[in-house]
Amino acid sequence: MNTRWDLILLPSFVIIGILIVASQFIFLEGSFYKDLGLGRTGTDLQLTNYIRFFTDSFYLNTLWITVKTSGLATIFTLLLGFPVAYLIARMRSRWSMLLLAGIVVATFVTIVIKVFGLIIIFSADGLINKVLMGIGIVETPYTIIGNQTGVVVGLMHFTLGFGVLLLYSVIQTIPRSYEEAAQIHGASRWRMHYRVLLPLSLPGLTVGALMIFNMSMGAFTSAALLGGGRVFTLPVLIQRTVMMEVKYSMAGTLSAVLLVTVLLINLFSIILIRRLRSARLVIA
Amino acid sequence: MTTPVDKAAARHANEAAIIALRPKGPPPRRGLPWGRFLHLFYCSLSYIFLLSPMIVVIGASLHGGEYYTAIKFPPDEPSFQWYWKIPGDQLRALGLSFLLAGATALGACVLGIPAALGIVRGKIPGKTFISTVFRAPLQIPAIVTGIAFLQMFYLVGDATGFYLQGTFWGLYMGHVFVATPYVVGTVTAILQRFDMRLEEAAFSLGANRWSTFRRVTLPVIKPGVYAGALYAFMVSFGDVPISIFLTAPGYVTYPIELFYGLENDFDPSILASASLVIFFCLIALLAMQKLVGLDTLLRSGSR
Repeated sequence: MNTRWDLILLPSFVIIGILIVASQFIFLEGSFYKDLGLGRTGTDLQLTNYIRFFTDSFYLNTLWITVKTSGLATIFTLLLGFPVAYLIARMRSRWSMLLLAGIVVATFVTIVIKVFGLIIIFSADGLINKVLMGIGIVETPYTIIGNQTGVVVGLMHFTLGFGVLLLYSVIQTIPRSYEEAAQIHGASRWRMHYRVLLPLSLPGLTVGALMIFNMSMGAFTSAALLGGGRVFTLPVLIQRTVMMEVKYSMAGTLSAVLLVTVLLINLFSIILIRRLRSARLVIA
Repeated sequence: MTTPVDKAAARHANEAAIIALRPKGPPPRRGLPWGRFLHLFYCSLSYIFLLSPMIVVIGASLHGGEYYTAIKFPPDEPSFQWYWKIPGDQLRALGLSFLLAGATALGACVLGIPAALGIVRGKIPGKTFISTVFRAPLQIPAIVTGIAFLQMFYLVGDATGFYLQGTFWGLYMGHVFVATPYVVGTVTAILQRFDMRLEEAAFSLGANRWSTFRRVTLPVIKPGVYAGALYAFMVSFGDVPISIFLTAPGYVTYPIELFYGLENDFDPSILASASLVIFFCLIALLAMQKLVGLDTLLRSGSR
């Protein structure tokens, strides 16, 4: 049986490859034309847009906010998601299916609807504020709309479902017997988690963290709606630059910076993990 | 006759024996008795955090009061009034989203299944590179994909006169682009555990190549295909960052309609249609559970 499987792959590879190269090349090239506003651009390749980006504190601040909110969202998503993933993965009853279903639905429902719910919850006469003002913790309504907390919470809603599903599959690959062995040998629950479960799940955890971080860096919806036009992350700024200011090449520059930042952070993390692993600081 | 001293000596000997019999090392600690309870409590907080927005949306959609006080949770006087008042724009957007997501799932399978077969079975140099290319659409931030496709469509339009932005096919290309990696991922995961001898057996028993594929290979990779198709459908159905660039006024997908609805002033009927979408996702999930089981979906879904 000598089916040429490699030939079967070819059409899809060519299509996806062309789409990647064509789309990426065009906007990257466009980002080097000087932006004259209203869709007009200069004709020769220059670094003007990039120089503007790296000398304008507004743009630099936007980049910093994007990385900061994404980083925070990644950390909190892992903190909130890991115990849940562990619980479901180690459950022996039929309840685990129900719990999983809850996670999967939360993953599948579009982020716009979830943000809508968040806006209702945090509105001036919403649940949270009624409770907070009822007990007298706050005088004026507390809101997450239009500040960075809101953006982080929105990003978490975007990534938490995916995160739990990913961590679930990671934890499932770690045999339960390892944990039992650790406990039989006298490890406390905390020690078992810290010395057995964590090192074993670290590779998966890293991949998960990077995926969540990538998703957050590119997340537009939650940042746009919960930022309320006051918090700008790069994705939000890119959309505004195109839709409102019609500056395609500047938007191209912003996109290029976002893309390169994401790729660099991924690369550095992978190198760092390899180093740590080869230095035996991380057992895995 | 035993003296008190003898008694004490006997007790000592007893205790020594008990100590000797004890396992070495510290006694097994079971952890804090409330550790498990604390874990469950923490997890329920996570669930509340994750699910509350959707519950609130469904709850608020049942509100029966006046228009301006309509965004209210918990609802005062439950009614389904807003469900009957979903405007045509939203229904049209929903229709487009369903069509687009269905077509995207199909397209992602058409591109993704052969890709997975080739990656797992082909004897080609640079396999890592090829699978990186297929995974790349997920690595590129979604908003960058959106603007990149828009600019590509402008350029193609300027050259040929066919402008794809704001058309179904333009949207379709963008969505298939980001959805294909999911199918590649799920099918690859299944194929890697596939026993090639099954195919060889079918082949040596006289099945031709196509019927081997159709009768042996396809049934085995089916769970992966379903799972990938479901991911593709949902990714397309919920997408904002790509669609926002590729839709045109009057021709929008449901999430974009909702997005603009939220940015401007919102009509409570949005709550009703959003609740319908949540229920649809629930039904799709239950169907998937019946069809292949949630476990398959997850095991093959996470690359």
